[in-house]
Amino acid sequence: MKILDRINESKKYNRLFKTSYPYFVGAILLSVFQIINFAITGSPWGVSGILANWGAWILEFFGASVENWHYFQVKHFNIDNSQSFLTSPISIRNVGIIVGALISALAASEFKYRKVKNKKQVLGAIIGGLLMGYGARIGFGCNIGALYSGIASLSLSGWVYGIFMFLGAVVGTKILIKFFM
Amino acid sequence: MFRGGNLKSKKSQYNNIKGTKQNKYMVKNQIPYAFGIFSLASILGIFLYTKSFDLCFYWIIGLCFGFILQRSRFCFTASFRDPYLTGSTALTRALLLAFALTSVGFTIIKYVYYINGDIVPGMEYVAPISFATALGAFLFGIGMVISGGCASGTLMRIGEGFQLQMITLVFFILGSVWGAYDFKWWEDNFISKGFRVFLPDIFGWIGGLVVNLLIICTIYLIAKKWEEKKL
Repeated sequence: MKILDRINESKKYNRLFKTSYPYFVGAILLSVFQIINFAITGSPWGVSGILANWGAWILEFFGASVENWHYFQVKHFNIDNSQSFLTSPISIRNVGIIVGALISALAASEFKYRKVKNKKQVLGAIIGGLLMGYGARIGFGCNIGALYSGIASLSLSGWVYGIFMFLGAVVGTKILIKFFM
Repeated sequence: MFRGGNLKSKKSQYNNIKGTKQNKYMVKNQIPYAFGIFSLASILGIFLYTKSFDLCFYWIIGLCFGFILQRSRFCFTASFRDPYLTGSTALTRALLLAFALTSVGFTIIKYVYYINGDIVPGMEYVAPISFATALGAFLFGIGMVISGGCASGTLMRIGEGFQLQMITLVFFILGSVWGAYDFKWWEDNFISKGFRVFLPDIFGWIGGLVVNLLIICTIYLIAKKWEEKKL
């Protein structure tokens, strides 16, 4: 396939789809899309709030009832538990992040299915995932909703979140070096 | 062990400077697959548009976020971890730039609503501050470092093909449900006693934005000094 090689070799293609953008370009682009997203939807970007609903929908699929949970009676971050995975826009946006990254990786011919290397990594993923999920619920969001969107919303909560997330990252690094490396 | 950090990106930049198009992960030309997935994503976008504008818009914006995060190797975890681990603050400073630009944009939009006498949108993101905020953020910080990815980073790495982050996502969801289950206790004991602070309420619209930008600038300068000292 000669045409493919030519695309692959072209300078423009390389600059747009193969070379990593400098961090500050990433920052500018993220900001532009955050602002567009807010202007159109009236709600800043959030990632993790909906994950509680994903869990709830899975539980409901297996017959459990979460309706009387206090959390799902109060609407947090505009998420309505009566929606389903495919009808909730925020779910669709999260799937979009995965697929967008997939397209980007493929366009750069960087995609590779990378298997887990060892059991320690799995343990890190399990504990880390649980901590992030629990922390995001009681802290009103994750690095996107509580931190990025919080600070951009001129909320003091974003800064408080940032300080303690940094302290957590320092402790996490110590744990990582001691137990997971 | 450290994914998405500086090393990989420096390496790929280095490779490009040298003009060698070989990439560490390059197996073969994957452009046809990229085109295929892009086409499918477009068809899904049209399908979603027939359902509702919202679904279609969120889909497109998600694709854009994923593309930008992957293409620029933007990693919140590294931006919080690397100052301590390696001394590099390049990502930290990029993140601060994003904070600054986005807060300017958000504030202008909110101000337009405000002067038109409309309800200011997005105010639910001004979250109550309490012990639960501090502890939640602290746990989140630990979690993202030992799992190797934050919320957006986990999704991005699934797209890149990391099996590990698929496990992280499953347990992120489990942790979220667990947190939702316990939420009433946290709300009764801490969150309900917390307070919401919207900077413009104290300093006015312009003052609030200026204070936010001053905090960002201060941290930016500290980060720059820190890197000069450490590297």
